Amino acid sequence: MGDRAVAATWQDGVRAVSPLILGVAPFGIIFGVTAIAADVPTIAAWASSFIVFAGASQIAIVELMNGNGTPIVAFITAVVINARHLMYSADMGRYTTGTPLRKKIAMGYLMTDQAYLVTAHRFPDPRDTPGFIGFYFGGALALWTTWQVTTTTGMILGAAIPESWSLEFAIPLTFMALLVLAVKDRPQLIAAATGGLVAVATIGLPYNLGLICGAIAGVLAGLAAEGTIA
Amino acid sequence: MTMWLVVIAAGIATFAMRFSFIGLFGKVGIPVPLERALRYVAPAVLAAITLPAILAPDATFDPWNAFLPAALVGAVAAWRTKSIGAAIIVGLPALWLLQWLTANLG
Repeated sequence: MGDRAVAATWQDGVRAVSPLILGVAPFGIIFGVTAIAADVPTIAAWASSFIVFAGASQIAIVELMNGNGTPIVAFITAVVINARHLMYSADMGRYTTGTPLRKKIAMGYLMTDQAYLVTAHRFPDPRDTPGFIGFYFGGALALWTTWQVTTTTGMILGAAIPESWSLEFAIPLTFMALLVLAVKDRPQLIAAATGGLVAVATIGLPYNLGLICGAIAGVLAGLAAEGTIA
Repeated sequence: MTMWLVVIAAGIATFAMRFSFIGLFGKVGIPVPLERALRYVAPAVLAAITLPAILAPDATFDPWNAFLPAALVGAVAAWRTKSIGAAIIVGLPALWLLQWLTANLG
């Protein structure tokens, strides 16, 4: 019984991500609006949507490069924010043992939180995945298209939005929401509290190094809290 | 020009992480210590970005700024709905209300 005998289609993938698109679309618009308002080269910020294709890290890059940013800190922050993709890749790797290389490359490029989560949910067993490739690409491409359209739209709208709307506040709001969704147990809460407090305490450090200090302290605190390191 | 360099370097690094284990034919799993540490990367980094932005919006500690209560309202919305969009839809108007109140009732 159940889904085992029925192969998934690309339409199933699109359908699975469509509720998540409601969360991605405003995020994309906000990125576009922010990128226009920030003092960074517009075309490079726009191109990050398909070169980097990872919203939170794109926003961090724009924030940290705003005005006279430090490129190395912006780069490291983007890498740290996107490090979770290593986990998705490790999990998806169990599904793609027989997949041709060019499809694997495309799968890697299109990896997102949402595409990974719906695919892992639809196919709990990596050995039993009828329609896996179509399902993944259907969902992942729907998300990719949404991101390109909404970030571009945000950049076009951006110039028309008055500063008094404080739209830049949408960025800490977005990160706050991501934070709330990322914390699922006590060690993760301790990691977040430590990371946040250390970052506030080191706010005076140059080049936004407080962010890196907070990140490292938070990860160590999480590991200590679960007992991996003493 | 540096913006382009950061975008391209971040793009290459992000692709490398996304492709990494998929490219290894599923024969190699993620090392356990790395997997454990990765669980805490997102909470730590997101808090390290968020807390300074709402506790010290102008780079000095200021717990009485309007961002903080508005962000907490947004956080509750995100927690209740599991949606980033909801945090923005609720949190931004909360900020506008607070800004209007401080401007008019000062």
